[in-house]
Amino acid sequence: MKAFAYIRPQSAEAAAAALADNDGALIKANGIDLLDRMKERVDEPNALVGLVDVEAFDSIEVEEDGGIRIGAGATLAQLAASQVVERFLPSLAYAAGHAASPQLRTRATVGGNLGQHTRCGYYRHKSFPCLKRGGDHCPVLKPGGVQDTAAIFGNGTCASASPSSLAPVFGSLDAVLTVRRGEATREVPFAEAWAEPKAGWASDLVFDREDLIESVHIPARAEPQRLGYEEVRQKAAFDWPLTACGVRLVAEGNTVKEARVWLGSVAPTPLRSEAAEKVLVGKSFTEARARAAGEAAVTGASPLPGNTYKVQLTKVVVRRALMQAWGRS
Amino acid sequence: MARKVTYLAGIEGAERELTVEVHDLDADPWPLGAKLKYVGTEVPRLDGVAKVTGVAQFTQDVNLDKMAYAGEVIAPHAHAVVKSIDASAARAMPGVLAVRTSEGKRVTYAGSSVAAVCATSREVLADALAAIRVEYDVQPHAVTVEEALKDEVRVSPRRSNDTAGGRGGAMRRGNPDAALESAEVKVEAEYRTAIQTHSALEPHGSVVSIDKEGNATVWASTQATSGFAGGRLLRALELPRGRVRVITEHMGGGFGAKFGAQSWDVLCAEFAKETGRPVKYLLTRRSEHLVGGNRPDSIQKLTLGGTKDGTFTVLAGETWGTSGNGRGGAGCANFMGYTLPSVRMLQHTVSTFTARGAAFRAPRHPQGFFALEGAIDAFAAKAGLDPLAVRMKNDPHPVRQIQWKIGAERIGWKRNHRKVAGSDKGPVKRGVGCAAGRWSQAGRGNWSVDLTIDSSGHVIVMNGAQDLGTGTRTLLAICVAEELGIPPATIDVRVGDTRYPPGPGSGGSTTAPSLGPAAREAGLRAREALAALLGVEWKTDSEKVTLEDGVFKGPGGKKATFQEACGLIPDEGLRVRGTRRRNYDGYNRETAGCQFAEVAVDTETGVITVERVVAVHDAGRLVNTMASRSQVNGGVIQGISFALYEERQLDENLGDMVNPTFDTYKIMGMADCPQIDVVLTTVVSGFNSIGMMGLGEPATVPTAGAIASAVYNAIGVQVRQLPMTPARVLAALEGRQQ
Repeated sequence: MKAFAYIRPQSAEAAAAALADNDGALIKANGIDLLDRMKERVDEPNALVGLVDVEAFDSIEVEEDGGIRIGAGATLAQLAASQVVERFLPSLAYAAGHAASPQLRTRATVGGNLGQHTRCGYYRHKSFPCLKRGGDHCPVLKPGGVQDTAAIFGNGTCASASPSSLAPVFGSLDAVLTVRRGEATREVPFAEAWAEPKAGWASDLVFDREDLIESVHIPARAEPQRLGYEEVRQKAAFDWPLTACGVRLVAEGNTVKEARVWLGSVAPTPLRSEAAEKVLVGKSFTEARARAAGEAAVTGASPLPGNTYKVQLTKVVVRRALMQAWGRS
Repeated sequence: MARKVTYLAGIEGAERELTVEVHDLDADPWPLGAKLKYVGTEVPRLDGVAKVTGVAQFTQDVNLDKMAYAGEVIAPHAHAVVKSIDASAARAMPGVLAVRTSEGKRVTYAGSSVAAVCATSREVLADALAAIRVEYDVQPHAVTVEEALKDEVRVSPRRSNDTAGGRGGAMRRGNPDAALESAEVKVEAEYRTAIQTHSALEPHGSVVSIDKEGNATVWASTQATSGFAGGRLLRALELPRGRVRVITEHMGGGFGAKFGAQSWDVLCAEFAKETGRPVKYLLTRRSEHLVGGNRPDSIQKLTLGGTKDGTFTVLAGETWGTSGNGRGGAGCANFMGYTLPSVRMLQHTVSTFTARGAAFRAPRHPQGFFALEGAIDAFAAKAGLDPLAVRMKNDPHPVRQIQWKIGAERIGWKRNHRKVAGSDKGPVKRGVGCAAGRWSQAGRGNWSVDLTIDSSGHVIVMNGAQDLGTGTRTLLAICVAEELGIPPATIDVRVGDTRYPPGPGSGGSTTAPSLGPAAREAGLRAREALAALLGVEWKTDSEKVTLEDGVFKGPGGKKATFQEACGLIPDEGLRVRGTRRRNYDGYNRETAGCQFAEVAVDTETGVITVERVVAVHDAGRLVNTMASRSQVNGGVIQGISFALYEERQLDENLGDMVNPTFDTYKIMGMADCPQIDVVLTTVVSGFNSIGMMGLGEPATVPTAGAIASAVYNAIGVQVRQLPMTPARVLAALEGRQQ
């Protein structure tokens, strides 16, 4: 591993300043993903800005208006155990409580979960060509490439699949990210946080090196929300979803007034399915309707020869997430 | 020199009297039903506390003064010639002690070493390796069986691509052509299994240290301490075997790929000589997956024929698999266990540009039984017969006949086996299935176990063989304890060191049955020696001194505890040796075994959950039932992992492995582990004085077949390719399977 400086600021402001002052410095929360990348020399930063000492970075708070603010340093285990999250955001509690493995969940943070790089085996080892690492093509797309976990949407230039299982939930919650750069912070709607794959842009996020996600804000809602999250994984633990779906429904009687459907692990970024939402809004909710939403969610999918099965899985998780949400009133 | 002994052997319900010729020095074989105090009981492993407290020292834990670290640059290409290597930056780094490069080398598999570095620290080593620039002239390759068999790809690391390979490569008996012609029921299908890497937690490797007097000590992660220091290692050290001590005090897993010293161990030795420092080299996880050994894959085309009443008459088949750039080894044990009067089998080992396969826990068996049991299920379905009844009808093994009944009872076959496969309502469907296994290992070799006792009563038992984690230490203690009448936990067992008498390599489930009888005899010799001392003390014939319930007794009410008897041992101590001699004629050469599985299959997502496995196994007389259960648990777990998760994924264009890490190479974890119900049936095998056989391998043979059988019962279609991933399950359900 290349030698690096380790800086431990006490505040978010100081962290942002350290990022600005140290060219090539990267943020380190608990390092679950970053340290793996550094050991593989996929990333070789000169300096790490460690966030362990940043005050209140891991807080989970209900705000006066009923909104919920989750510090980017909160761990998945904290989310899963939080009474606030369990009560108001059960889909998030479930996603956080089932990700990775129990050991990893005690260290993995919300910010790290969103900011982790793709788990694509080609990206993760330097001897493979990789668009995200600046190569001229994505080898997954060639016949003979290993495609089973790859993206089935938006995979024209890079077939990496977004690994975050929290992302489709945050998407469905219309989360807003508070991002700091230097002394200023800005609010970034969740949908605007993600970058389409392009050569040399390793991160799935639009943010660059100096941007620090401080917290995730879940806006307050006047009406009752019905939330759902479903995923398919091959293994019960220490595995990433093959496909995941977070949903939020607002109902008036039996009619769906508002719907958010977000998919995970099927595209290079988390993906909102407006097609699925359209099937639902203004209609009475039935299992057939949920099934139709699942069908709609995969319109326009462009699976590779090695992962057509993910289309079926996606239909199923959308339907199941919706059924789960509807059953939770 | 020999005497005849007649005694009862076999299993209760199918016992048989055996008359065997026994060497005069051999102990009398214990008959079926013998009342034994320690053998056949639950004994916690003697090194358990050391292992869970971190005291136990594995090769990775060996750190010596001034120790240096070795590592290699590996090729990311399946076939290439090394054009040039620029190692100048690495050579210039402070702390780099030695650098080697292999310009001009023809690389025939990804993972092949092209340069090596020895450095004063791990950190310098990693930086130096990363600084070496290698230019390759990339050549055409084929890394899969199918690619290698294409006519246009006549590039192979070996000249021939269609050599029948492995034991049982080509095999014929009876009259298969006529039997196929006349079969009333006939099924034909293709089964496939993937390459499984060994994935031991502890990687391959060693620490080599040469002292000032020219003696070498090698700490190695090896399944064969006594055979480790062979030709290449000794040549590298320029030492005779007697000056090379090999130590494997504890081992973090070995499944058949860790025998003699390999290229990295030789490199370690060469660097130790070159630098004058102890050198450590344990493979990276990536190299473990790439070159640390693997179970060859298989494509098995089978035709099974028989009569309408479910009697098999013929099995015909052809198989292909790759053992990398090696020759042979990709055969499948798909024609064994059952009565098959006519067989025609042709098995091909196809060479590809991938690293060599290795023996892997029951070589040829899990893949062979997966296919054979699949064919049996298909046959039973076509004949309209119960698949368990068909198995029992064609099973010649008296022990397995008993085991099928036990397993069927435990899994609730009558209740849980769906009469109509796939008939559960709803998307999640359950089913049960079963499969047989076999093995054959009664131990071998004239190994010796040394035993010393001092006047304080401290018993030391010694053999050089390694304990892979299976419980060899504890097993030796139990065998000695039984003869001496003292608890196993009081015995000090020393293994894994060539200072002690040589021991067998742990392959083919040999270690326990090869050493157990020697340990028993060492205990017996020690008891005789103590009786002789007491005979002198009590002025009586030593043959009149007996040992009952841990107390020595002599004529006239004389008594001595073990401790008191040891008090008579002179200062020079008591030293005896027990030796194992040739096997006797036994009860049945074949170890039986069968497993039943209950699964839940989500037919919408293709995810399989194994909910329960009933594993019924025999391994002769069991010495430690706790360790035996543990062996079976491990075999089942590894079998489920093979059935559902493990697969070496190669990019066919680049020829390199895409998932050489434990986050991408899927291997079963605790959360996926079902309830495992282990039933051990005691069979006095007759082959040796204890009646033992090996258990390491048989325990993993039936698992994949049983799970596939249960999946078939649950969903009504066979998934004929391992691992049974969601993609393959859905393809089978949609009728898209190859």
